[in-house]
Order: sequence, then structure tokens, then C-alpha cells
Amino acid sequence: MQREKITNRILTVVFTVLSLAWIYPMVMILVNSFKQNTAITTGTAFNPVTAETSAGIANYISALTKQGFAAAFGYTLVITLTSVALILVCCSMCAWYVVRVNNKFCKALYYLFVFSMVVPFQMLMFTLSSLADSMGLNTPYNICFIYLGFGAGLAVFMFAGFVKTIPLEIEEAATIDGCSPVQTFFHVVLPIMKPTYISVGILETMWVWNDYLLPYLVLDSTKYKTIPILIQYFRGGYGHVELGPMMACIMMTILPIIIVYLLCQRFIISGVVSGAVKG
Amino acid sequence: MAEIVLKNIKKIYPNEKTKKHRFGKKAKEPEKKSNLQVTDEGVVAVQDFNLTVHDREFVVLVGPSGCGKSTTLRMIAGLEDISSGDLLIDGKRVNDVAPKDRDIAMVFQSYALYPNMTVYENMAFTLKLKKVDPKVIDEKVRSAAETLGITQYLDRKPKALSGGQRQRVAIGRAIVRDPKVFLMDEPLSNLDAKLRNQMRAELIKLRHKVNGTFIYVTHDQTEAMTLGDRIVVMRDGFVQQIGTPQEVFNHPSNLFVAGFIGMPQMNFFPATLVRDGASYQLKTPKFTVDIAPDTCKKLAASGVDAAETDVTAGARPEQIELVAPGEKGAICGKVVVSELMGATVHVHADVNGSEFVLVINTVDFDKSKGSSFGIGDDVWFKFEPDAVHLFDKETEKNLIQA
Amino acid sequence: MVKSLRKWWPLFLLPTALSFAFGFVIPFVEGLYLSFCRFISISNPKFVGISNYVAALADPQFAHSFWLTALFTIVITVLINVIALAIALCFTRKGLKGSNGFRTVFFMPNLIGGIVLGYIWQILINGVLTIVGQQLLALNTVAGFWGLVILMLWQQVGYMMIIYIAGLQSIPSDYLEAAKVDGATAWQTLWKVKIPNLMPTITICLFLTITNGFKLFDQNLALTGGAPDHSTELLALNIYNTFYARAGAKWMGIGQAKAVIFCILVICISMIQLRATQSKEVQQ
Repeated sequence: MQREKITNRILTVVFTVLSLAWIYPMVMILVNSFKQNTAITTGTAFNPVTAETSAGIANYISALTKQGFAAAFGYTLVITLTSVALILVCCSMCAWYVVRVNNKFCKALYYLFVFSMVVPFQMLMFTLSSLADSMGLNTPYNICFIYLGFGAGLAVFMFAGFVKTIPLEIEEAATIDGCSPVQTFFHVVLPIMKPTYISVGILETMWVWNDYLLPYLVLDSTKYKTIPILIQYFRGGYGHVELGPMMACIMMTILPIIIVYLLCQRFIISGVVSGAVKG
Repeated sequence: MAEIVLKNIKKIYPNEKTKKHRFGKKAKEPEKKSNLQVTDEGVVAVQDFNLTVHDREFVVLVGPSGCGKSTTLRMIAGLEDISSGDLLIDGKRVNDVAPKDRDIAMVFQSYALYPNMTVYENMAFTLKLKKVDPKVIDEKVRSAAETLGITQYLDRKPKALSGGQRQRVAIGRAIVRDPKVFLMDEPLSNLDAKLRNQMRAELIKLRHKVNGTFIYVTHDQTEAMTLGDRIVVMRDGFVQQIGTPQEVFNHPSNLFVAGFIGMPQMNFFPATLVRDGASYQLKTPKFTVDIAPDTCKKLAASGVDAAETDVTAGARPEQIELVAPGEKGAICGKVVVSELMGATVHVHADVNGSEFVLVINTVDFDKSKGSSFGIGDDVWFKFEPDAVHLFDKETEKNLIQA
Repeated sequence: MVKSLRKWWPLFLLPTALSFAFGFVIPFVEGLYLSFCRFISISNPKFVGISNYVAALADPQFAHSFWLTALFTIVITVLINVIALAIALCFTRKGLKGSNGFRTVFFMPNLIGGIVLGYIWQILINGVLTIVGQQLLALNTVAGFWGLVILMLWQQVGYMMIIYIAGLQSIPSDYLEAAKVDGATAWQTLWKVKIPNLMPTITICLFLTITNGFKLFDQNLALTGGAPDHSTELLALNIYNTFYARAGAKWMGIGQAKAVIFCILVICISMIQLRATQSKEVQQ
């Protein structure tokens, strides 16, 4: 017992050190985001901010106004919110239908959904972006339909997994009580599925928010840049890249994520776990 | 008035139709559930079901799993399609009427309470859907809650309730609807033994308070016997017998019903029924039993006139009495097991390879021998007159037809 | 009830099924077809049989990317799973102070997108390389490879760790107590009790790390972009470059063929891996 306690103490110390090392990369960016451009070079990346090298919050202001970060944030937000909302509503209803009706068509459709989760994006990237173009689904306001199509696999899979655990008798009781199928879904099934909505919502949000390739290929990049596109664009370094605002951009990208994460940790972690386990 | 008539009801689960594969696979063999009939069309879950449930009657469908009782109940509820036959509620054919329009209420085995709603909301749900005035809803819910003694739980959610409480809420949900028929699908099966006995008594009380028509499904013959005005014994999709509990207990129409109803199970043994003029005797290698005169008359009236008939005979454990050793006409067996139940003892005695269970009052048990029977001891017994049931060996039907 | 649900398919099924058809099925089938064609845009492909596939397989860059990706995937799969499991075992010890806080920290990088991740580590690694006097990432293949590995570790260890923790916590304590009573050491308990019961979790984590490794794109693009001279170009990036970075009409078809090969590869590996580990799963 004593040995266990000592081991635990040692481990606590080890992990504290490890944790600090773990968040160091983000701290480094934070520090650099307050430096003037000239103070950020490969050699001085790790140096702390001093009075002379400090640029105050000028980098942040520049990033928001000149570099187009505010616009990128806006577009990313719109795309993420619309896509995730659409996926949650449509895929949950689809999953319930597929599991309950369960005829040959539904079974085939379900297997297609599962199959789509393994297929790499490169397989479709060209054809999908051409199709999106020809259908006019290439603005941040309607790209959500593409996300619905491509993201349906995982969402339906997870929702279906949960629907299978709902006892049929509850839905039958609703039918006897006088519910139409739509009423049964909204009054009875949806409330029971709340945890799954959260799990799927989190997974899909993480995916869409950070997605680079799909928006890049589908959207007109000169007009609409999402945050990943913006960052990659500048990193490409055509011409002079202002490193200071670049750091600020990165910081402003990570910060909202971290804040949301710290607030909703439990949901995020359990959502991620159930997503993986169901797979 | 709520009279329910089932005429020639049949339920078939069709075979899965598979397209002709290029490799010429045959249609898939349906899974065999117990001994249900399998025809070209599919598995027959229920057939030739005929029953009239009178207004305010409490009818129990009883039988082992897979016998079709739940399927029949679900057909009455409208949760399963009726393959052929007619279902009439108050004279109107309702085969194609949606469940919500049949004016029925159902209590499920697992209670099926909506987990996201409080007890109040669960009970009020159906009235809310019908857009009934909230004041009326409140009245009805509270009065039902009073009847069942669950008023203090109205604000709780189902997961905060015990099994017995949930069951009451499920029944409350049914009462609030004030339906023509109450359908109950094994409502007591999920409760532990002690609670089950309690709730059984409560159900009987409730039934008289509510005074509606009940159709109740169970696999427990005790529930059937205590609750039902009439019971319908089912097996493998067929009705075996319909009658009052007393009728079914005293005059089982076939071997299955005789063995299913009654606890402990009736003792069965192979024998030959020998006719000698107007009297009959039951002969086995080890012993011979004279058939009582009343029974002989009934046998003759039922047309049993062969000189010898092979039968399976049955005698209920409670209808066997201990006699003095060696008494004329007594049967001798060797004790294999004796289970002390409290007021009675169940003695398992082996007679020539057949095992007989006797239910003896503990008092009598001790008196007969001075001390309880040990394993290997001899025990002498006789069947009470009129206590022997005779079933045709092949058809398993009771020789005496009611 | 199912009967009445059936006729509601326009509401429940249609939106998703339709979007899925346009968002996945049609592009997939088209992609398959185009892999046998020579084309610049979708509108007029010319059927050329399997010549795209031949060219793809003959492309030395493709082969290089394949072996690099394979090596990369093996390395990260082993490292990530071993480290994640080790950490998970530590965090499920009774009485380890602060384990919740550590969990929070370790998982955080998983939420950050690939591009941003790549860029952060590019700065960091270049900084380190400068200090030790090595060449920067743009010219340093070895640093590029290991940089990617470290980056993936940073991003994925927390994720796998969480899954392993959940898996460890779901082992019935009866088994562990029985092992204790039987006198097993911690090491024996690990190998004879914990890991066999963890097989479903291991299946999942292996599946995720392997498929993530093979499909990696964003981080690859951001960290090295394949530099120097395509030497750190993994498969996905190679396919992308074949489509969009090479001049000449024939490369589109070849790119699509590569994509199909890539797809088949990922599917096969997933199936093999699933079979292999699922057969080792212990029935509860």
C-alpha cells in the first residue's frame, strides 16, 4: 500500500511536468502573438516577449481587420452551424426510419452509410467538387447540403445504434395513445435520444469546423475563406507574410475551441467515446 | 357496452421473399419457434381463434411462451395485422381500424412509460393529444392517481420509481383513457415474487373498482386461476380450452391443459382402461384402480366402448390420500424426495419407474408414521374417488367430453 | 405502427438519402468510372481502359508515398497505442491526484484542426532545428517525418487515451478482484486479465489510428507540404498533387486511379485489422 502511494506521488509529478510540456506549443504561439514581426524568426521563436519586442495587441487588430480573420470566422461559423443542424435533424429522422422499417432498401442504405465512413475523401474530391459546382452548392450558405451528404454516414450510424436500444413498446404505447409517426418521433423518440444528439453534434462540429479540403475545393476561395483555408493561404507565403498577425490568427482559432472545450468537457469527452465505441 | 368477438382469427408471419439469385438459392427456411406450424405461406402463430368476451368480463389468455397469446392480444390492440378472420368490438369490424381509434388501453410487460415525462405527463399524454381541456385532464389524472395510490408520485419521472410504482403508473395511464377494453400483456412478470402476489390482490380489487372489460395475458397459471372469470389456454397457436377456472381445473379437455393448470403438476402415468360391462378398471403392471361409478357412467356416455383402451391417466397431487400399508387397492411407492413446504409436504414417490408427487398435510404426514418419511421408505396411497382423469394415449384428449 | 410509418418516407428518409446520393454515392461511382478515363473536366471523358492504373502503379512518387505512408502508419500506430494505453493505465489508478486535470490537458490538442496543428508544429520544430543547428523542415526529410510523427502523437494520444480509459473502466471489477485473490502481480494482471478484456477497445483504437494514419492529409500539407522535393509526401497528399499540381491532361485520370487504389487499400486494411483483432475478443 505504501508503495502504491509513493508510485502515485511520483506519477503525479511526472504527469504535471508532462502536462506543462503538452500545452507548451500553444503557450509558445500565445507569446509570439504579442511580438512584433521582426522578433519572430525561427531562431527566436522560443524567446519570451520583452518590452522592445512587444507589439501589444496590434497583431490581433491587424488579423481581424486586414487579414480577413473576422470574415473567415464568420464563414466558418455559418457553415458549421448550418451543417451540424441539418445533419442532426435529418440524420436522426433517417436513422429512426431505417431501423424501424428495416426493409431491404433500408438495410442496403444502412450498409452504404457504414461503407461511406471508411472511404477516404480523395476518392471523391474531384467528382464531388465538380458536382457541387454544377449544382450551385458552392457558397457558405448552401455547402451544408454537401456536408449533410458526406457526413450522413457517421451520423446515421450513431443514431441508428441508439434507436436500436429504444424498446419498441414505448413507441407502441405512443401509437395506442394516439400519436402519428411524426408525433411519436418528436414527443417520445427525440427526447430519449438527447445524449446521442450531443455526441453526434460534437463529433460533426469538430469535423466541419476544422475541415480544410472540402471547403477549399468547393468554395470560391477568392470570395470565401474559412479559417483553415485562411491559415493555409498565408502559410503558403505568397509574398510577404506578416508573422505577427499570423500568430494572432492561430491564437484566435484555438482560443474559442479551448473555451468551449473547458466548459463542455464532459459532453465532449463522452461524445467522443460513444462515437468510437459504437464504431 | 364493450363486447369483443374474435372469429376464426389467424396470424401468419410470411416467409421472407427472396429474389431468385443467379445461383438459384431457395427461399430461406423460416426459423422454427417451438412447434408452430410452418406452411408455404409462412409460420402460423395463431389459428382458429374463436372467442366472445362479454362486457365487463375478465378473460385471461394463458399458455407457455410462443403459444400465441401475446400475438392475439396485439392483434386486438391493432399492433399486429390480422391475417384472416374478423375482430369485432361492439359489433363493429375493426380489423383495419388504427389502434388509437379502437378505444382500447394497453399495459405492457415492461410498462413502457415515457422516460422523459413525469408521471402526471405520462398519464395525461393521450388526453393532451386529443386536445382535451386541461382542467378535465387534471381531474381525470388525479382521480386515477387516487384510485391507485400514486398521487404523491405525480411529479416524479419513471426512473425515480420502483417496479411496483411504475406498474401502477402504467395502469393509471390506461384508466385515464376510460377505454372500452383494457389489454394487459404480462404486467406482473417483471416484479419479484413477493410483489407479484401483492399486486395480484391489488389487481383483483382494482378490477372491481374500475368495472371494465379486461383481456389479460400471462404464462403464470396461478394468475390465470385467481384473476380470470374465464381462461383461454393456448398452445402452439391453438386454443386448447376455454372455460371458468373451476371448469378448466376439474375437467381439463386434454393432457396439455391438465398438465399446465395446477401446481404442483398433475401426475401422469401410462395405463390400460379395461371395460367390463358397465364398469371400468384402470390397469397398470403394478396396480389396478377401480373407476368410480359416476365416472363410469360418463365414460359410457362418451362412447368409450372398446374392451381395452390405452390411456395416459392423471391424478392431481392434492387428490391423493395416504392409506394404511397393504390396504386393498392401495399403491406402494418408494420415497425419492420429500420437500417440506410449511403446512404441506410434497412427497415424490417412485412407483415402477413412474414418479408420483403427493401433497400431504404436514399434520397427516407425521400422524401416519410417527415420524416423517425418509428417502427410500415405503409410502402407501390411494387416489380419491373421481380424481382420476383419463386421456387417450394417442390423441391426448380427455376421454370424457364435456 | 411500422405500416403507418412507411408512408412518411418523404419526410424522414428523402432529405438524407437524396443528399447522400449526391454527396457520396454519385461522386463515388463517377470517380470509379473516371479512373478508367482520360479527362480534364467531368463533361467529356475518354475511356482508356486500365492505362491510368498502369501509369499510377509505375509512378515512382506514388510508390515512394505508399511505402512512406505505410512506415508512418506503423510507427504512429505502435507509438500512439502503447503510450495512450500506458497513460490510461496510470490515470485509472486509484488515488492518483489530478488525473482529471491531466486528462483535460492531454485531450485538448485533438480539437485543433489539422492545418493549424501543422503550422504550430512547423514553427516549433523549425525553432528547435535552428537551435541545434540542423536544416529547417523545408530541406530536412528526417525532421519532416519525425515531426509528423510527433504531431500525430500530440493530437491523437489524448483521444485514444480517453477511449482506453473508458474501456478499462468497463472491465468488471470482479475479474480484477479474482486476480488479486489468485495472487497475480500487476504485470500478470495487465497481460492476462486487463488486455484480453480490452480487446474490443484495442480493436477500435487500432482501427482509428491505422485509418487516420493512412488517410492523413491536412497535417501533412501544413507541416511540410511534402518538402523537400516530395520526400515527405504521404499518399493522400500525393493524390492531391497529382490532380491539382501537375500539368497535363493525363494526370487527372491517373490521379483518380490512384484514388481508387488508395480507397481499396484503406478498405482492405480496415477489414483485415478488424478480422484479426475481433477474433481475439473475449466473450463476456
